[in-house]
Amino acid sequence: MKKFQKFLALVLVLALAVTVFAGCSGGSGSGSAAGGSGSGSGDLPDVDNSQAVNLTMYFISDKPGKWDEVEANYNKLFQEKLNTTLTTQWIAWSDYGNKYPLLFSSGEEFDLAYTATWLSYASLAQKGAFKELDDIWPKYAPNNWAQQSEAAKIQATVNGHYYCIPTLLATYSAYGPYYRTDLLDDSEWDGAMEGFDDLETYLDAIKAKYPEMQPYGVTMSGSELDDMWLGANSLYAIRGTSWLFIDPFADEPKLTTWYQYDGVMDFLTMMKRWCEKGFWSRSALSNAGNNEMDNGIFCVDVHNVDTYSGKVINEYNDPKGWTWGYKNWVKDVSNLPFTQDACVIPTTTKHADRALQLYDYITTDEEGYRAFMNGIEGTTYEIVDGQVRTLNADQDYGSTGMWAARNSKFNLPTEGSPEDEQEMKAEWDAYIAENGNRHSQYYSGFTIDTTSIETEYNACGNVVQQYWWPLELGFTDDLEAGLKEFQSQMEAAGVNKVIETLQAQLEDYIKNFPPES
Amino acid sequence: MKKHGFLYELRKNKALFLMAAPAVLLTFFLAYLPMSGLVLAFKNFNYSLGVFGSAWNGFDNFAYLFQSGTGWLITRNTILYNLMNLITSQFVAVIVAIIISEMVGRLYKRFVQSVIFLPYFISWVIVGIFAYNLFNYETGVLNGLLRAMGSEPLNLYTSENAWMWVFIICLFNMWKWTGYNSIIYIAAITGIDAECYEAADIDGANIFHKIWYITFPAIRPTIITMILLQVGRILRGDFEMFYQLVGSSGQLFQVTDVIDTYVFRSLATSGNLGMTAAASFYQSAVCFILVIVVNKIVSKIDQDSALF
Repeated sequence: MKKFQKFLALVLVLALAVTVFAGCSGGSGSGSAAGGSGSGSGDLPDVDNSQAVNLTMYFISDKPGKWDEVEANYNKLFQEKLNTTLTTQWIAWSDYGNKYPLLFSSGEEFDLAYTATWLSYASLAQKGAFKELDDIWPKYAPNNWAQQSEAAKIQATVNGHYYCIPTLLATYSAYGPYYRTDLLDDSEWDGAMEGFDDLETYLDAIKAKYPEMQPYGVTMSGSELDDMWLGANSLYAIRGTSWLFIDPFADEPKLTTWYQYDGVMDFLTMMKRWCEKGFWSRSALSNAGNNEMDNGIFCVDVHNVDTYSGKVINEYNDPKGWTWGYKNWVKDVSNLPFTQDACVIPTTTKHADRALQLYDYITTDEEGYRAFMNGIEGTTYEIVDGQVRTLNADQDYGSTGMWAARNSKFNLPTEGSPEDEQEMKAEWDAYIAENGNRHSQYYSGFTIDTTSIETEYNACGNVVQQYWWPLELGFTDDLEAGLKEFQSQMEAAGVNKVIETLQAQLEDYIKNFPPES
Repeated sequence: MKKHGFLYELRKNKALFLMAAPAVLLTFFLAYLPMSGLVLAFKNFNYSLGVFGSAWNGFDNFAYLFQSGTGWLITRNTILYNLMNLITSQFVAVIVAIIISEMVGRLYKRFVQSVIFLPYFISWVIVGIFAYNLFNYETGVLNGLLRAMGSEPLNLYTSENAWMWVFIICLFNMWKWTGYNSIIYIAAITGIDAECYEAADIDGANIFHKIWYITFPAIRPTIITMILLQVGRILRGDFEMFYQLVGSSGQLFQVTDVIDTYVFRSLATSGNLGMTAAASFYQSAVCFILVIVVNKIVSKIDQDSALF
């Protein structure tokens, strides 16, 4: 008994000590929350550039060794044009997860910051971390405002207000196979790559000529052929999930998952056939991935155009005698959300007008853009035939981590990138312009909020990996039974509640932002 | 006997207290203070409100562990794997230690010991690549042998053959840990008074008699301590081992999924701090109970061998 009392006393002392510390941090936490609540813009005067100001910008990246030279170079320009200088603060990749959220709760004064969908832009905006931009964005950054697309403005909206300036660089949902063409140079292959049938012909030809290859790239991270199938059949996979999709052309789109979809058996039978033909290893899902593409074991995979472009640039810099082809199979091409790179003004700033003016200058004036994004002409870069050549690559000048400032108008391809890349992009731009803010482009503004269904949502994601992935890759003997098993596991995990909740969010989105008719 | 107060004790043994102070402080700051973070398991974590400012949400964070019955399956797998590993790696380590200490040639002894110890230094990432190259259906060594002998290749990565992974995983675990654990037992055996063995020799005992009646009883406290320490980790799967050996092969999960891999898979992308804290809390709570119970049992059998 004595022993027990002693033990109890010890526990109480410890508990007390813990509460004391808990009290400290609790206090600071709530204090900062209160500090971040004001977000009204008020009446700001027209930009008065008579006072020289130094602005501070935060973004995530590792600071290159010679960045100070680049910074001095663009500050000379900013000083001359706007009487403003800019100090950049770099949050290292190694600890952005801790530092970035703290940036806004610490109460520190700064003027511009990088944000993104993957940095919880929406939830930080709801918590009052950012200045509301409804009036000041068009007023102080008029050129930037004028270049923004409708979709981008919807994506920047949280609770009816703008809180961020999305990037002006368009990226595309275009997806398709990038494949080596040199392997079949002297064969009878016709070079067509318009759809899954052509891909099968290509893979057959490869397998016949090089039986030791496992031509289609599948590793531990799974295969993206399921997403590809959706895109090629004009379906739209909801951003943020890999297993929910809609028909973007329907009047009232319904969230669907694989076992509810009519074409599922066509897809699975094809995949099973491909697996049996040995297009990928039956053990592929345990393969951690060891650069098989560069080692010549894989020769085709589906991805975006940048991956294709990267392969061609690699070949340009370090020739191996390989040639690559690329085709987009996504029928209803749209832009990826523009908020995947964005700029925010924190509530603590004293110079919102000057910050916006500077950001306008950086993003929409070519001189300002080059100085900030490309560095020092003749020292860090030069432009050759409309392509950017990096100079003194060994000297660690690096480039900025403020990717949000990129603009399609000024963003030039890297030297050595494929010729057809720009043509394809122009084609997609034309398609998007022609269709306006409708279909996939319209739904790209819809983001899911899983807060209330986190348990079920995570459980479903887990079931997808456990049951759908092997099914998708043709590892399951009986497809019908496998699909049934997948369905029953999904239902046990709570898929119906997930779909119901997200369907309601989708309908709210359609109600709040009606599509163009 | 007169009872003295804490201050008296402090004054009397101040040198001892001073010596203990660094360890006590370290434990307090590094082990007890962070424990306050456990409240996270019961909170709906919100970045701007912080750990202690966030709202409470009861046991909601634990719900996903037990969604659709997975909680039971992964708990069972974790416990069984650890029991198997306890038996294989510890038992084999004791035997290896005895064999090594009975060896006569000094150079050969050192050599064997080093070879057995080597796997401890090989990262699971590398071991994962070994395993993939051994068992791969198309190009694996195992199937190469099977084909060469004229039999059907074996696809280990399907649900029908998933049970074999129990042995594969235990084997790899044994391979990696036996050498490391045996070092501790070798040290214990070296500490045994040589006179005991000499006396046994005079009495005419053979080598097995000596092992059974001298070596085993002498290292029993070490074995019990090692096992108790292992029990404390019984709900923690060796995440890296499972992840590197199995990867995303869903058809094997029924057999190979442990709590750590399940939590990783479910939460890697969503980054919900509350739920990860809940999983960790669940593991710690069950381990705590296990350690207390096993220690109680040990102290009933042999008072001196118990940890506390």
